[in-house]
Amino acid sequence: MLYNKDSMTHQPSGFVVAVVDDDQGILRSLEYLLESADHAVRVFTSGTALLESGCLPEIDCLISDVDMPGMDGFGLLRLVHAARPGLPTIFITGYPDTLKQLPPLSGSNPRFFTKPFDGPELLTAVSDALRDSREQRGL
Amino acid sequence: MGEGDRQEPAQPLRRELQVLANIPPSIGQRWAARILVLALLAILAATWPFATVKLPEIPAFVPSLAAALFVSDCVTAVLLFGQFSILRQRALLVIANGYLFSALIVVGHALAFPGAFSRSGLFGSGLQSAVWLYWFWHSGLPLAIIGYALVKNTDRAISARSTRLAIGSSVAATTALGIGIFWFVTQHHDLLPVTYVDVQPLSLFRRIIGGVVILVLGGIALCLLWARRRTLLDEWLMVALCALLIEVALASVLSGDRYTVSWYAGRFYQLVTATVVMAVLLVEMTTLYADIARSNMLLQHERRLLERAVQAQRREREARLMTGDAVAASIAHEVRQPLTAMVTTADAGLRFLDRSIPNLDKAKEAFRRIVADGHRAGDMVGSIRAHFKSDVEDRTGLDLNEIIQQALALGRGDLEKHRILVQSEPDEQLPEIRGNRTQLQQVLLNLIMNAIDAMAAREDPRILRVRSEAYDGHHVKVSVADTGAGISSQDVERIFNPLFTTKSDGMGMGLSICRAIIEAHDGRLWFTPNAPQGAVFQFTLRANTPASAAG
Repeated sequence: MLYNKDSMTHQPSGFVVAVVDDDQGILRSLEYLLESADHAVRVFTSGTALLESGCLPEIDCLISDVDMPGMDGFGLLRLVHAARPGLPTIFITGYPDTLKQLPPLSGSNPRFFTKPFDGPELLTAVSDALRDSREQRGL
Repeated sequence: MGEGDRQEPAQPLRRELQVLANIPPSIGQRWAARILVLALLAILAATWPFATVKLPEIPAFVPSLAAALFVSDCVTAVLLFGQFSILRQRALLVIANGYLFSALIVVGHALAFPGAFSRSGLFGSGLQSAVWLYWFWHSGLPLAIIGYALVKNTDRAISARSTRLAIGSSVAATTALGIGIFWFVTQHHDLLPVTYVDVQPLSLFRRIIGGVVILVLGGIALCLLWARRRTLLDEWLMVALCALLIEVALASVLSGDRYTVSWYAGRFYQLVTATVVMAVLLVEMTTLYADIARSNMLLQHERRLLERAVQAQRREREARLMTGDAVAASIAHEVRQPLTAMVTTADAGLRFLDRSIPNLDKAKEAFRRIVADGHRAGDMVGSIRAHFKSDVEDRTGLDLNEIIQQALALGRGDLEKHRILVQSEPDEQLPEIRGNRTQLQQVLLNLIMNAIDAMAAREDPRILRVRSEAYDGHHVKVSVADTGAGISSQDVERIFNPLFTTKSDGMGMGLSICRAIIEAHDGRLWFTPNAPQGAVFQFTLRANTPASAAG
């Protein structure tokens, strides 16, 4: 009952999710989790790697770590939104404290998950985000 | 922070300062002095044939020249008094007073000079007053130089406190002498041997006697100074003396008549005598000032470099030393990463198994990844343990007092911010201990930061006392006492438990890590209340004595 129905069909969802985290272990586990929901996954170990990959136009949802060496998650979101305004975004963080000093993120309403997070909950958030953006595009 | 950090004590500064009055002359300066003396002699030789030729009488010449001589003698005296106040050598006081005496008598001479201010001179001076004043005036500098040369090399510096007194009393004595001579020569000139029979010519015999006395005095002064010359000042005092002797020879011995070529040439030599030392002192002062300005610039530059290096070193040290909470936060982060990966992979694996046709291959792979991440977390915990359970090889002989000072320095910013008074009471005879420097610094920094936190929100008195002492023969004891709120009786049992904290933002790892480190060093860490308020954390470590090493 926790798992959404899309995953039962084993058909590709047709959505592309990008994951950015500097920890390889977390990157691999998220790739695996998203594959189990039949999403296509692109993984990057830094925000810069995502921006330089050229696959920004094809992604439907972004999952990013907040604390990373170099560009942090918020900096990445600003740049991503310049190219893809309103791209659904989910942040994952190991430091719940950083959420207290959250800078104003204009024009977006990202969701936050604290590590370790609940897999099904994260997948639900991804589905919700994708549905919202689909509805927005539909309007 | 190796042993190399300990600075060698600075070499004591050389007692003798390098100032004008004691710098040796350069070769160029020596030659300049000799060339000037030769030039003075050449002028003498050129003037000789015309020595007795009469030139126009200009009575105003004497007072105007006297004003110039007075000013430059005074300036020279002031410069020399200045040098004396730095070096505090009596020789300099003597020569400075010689110039002051000259300055005073020059004025007296002009006042008494017939035809300058009045026909026979002011203040009842007689015909011979000016001549006698001239002789006193010209014996002043040779006598001062003799005194200077006699005491200069054996001179011990007088005490700094009596410098002003010495200058004041010598100036008073010299002034009194000058006024006394002037008074006697003008009021009682009839008691003095007659040197001036008529306005013209001077009494040849007595004039020669007077001139010869000064020449002999000057000769003695010149010989003494030549034998003992050492400094730039000596060199130029000899030039001034030469100019004075040439003048006396020219004006008194060769031709005594006033307003002749030799008389006017004599006034030129007076000017040289009065200005040469002043000029050299001023030129050298400018040069030295430029040197100092340059060295100062270099010094500032070096200091900036040093400050930057010290700051970099301090930042590095601070980066290595973390408070217990920071250690705990970093451990939490390191463990959370593999844990997150494990949970997420397990979720993914469950989903693969939960499908209508379970994907067993994917599920197996998920389990393999979980195992790998589990090992990764295990390794992490192992390395953290290793960090606190340091190898015996990491331990060196340490001076705990030094480590206390460094920890206090690291906490200085917070101590100052909360206006906490620090009482450091090191036992100077504290024996060395063996231990891991970084870990023990961590312990002290933690205890100090805890003390600061305990006092930050409290009223005065805010006192942090850090004391070290020898303890029961084979141990050392360090105590860190604060005047904060103290520890309530129900908390005393729990303060060393991991995760126990009274701070809103703390994780409660500090004291448990401190105790773990101290116990790994075979020491003990405990708490006692402070009187009348606050907490005392104390720890003991075994002293690094041969007995304890064997035991």
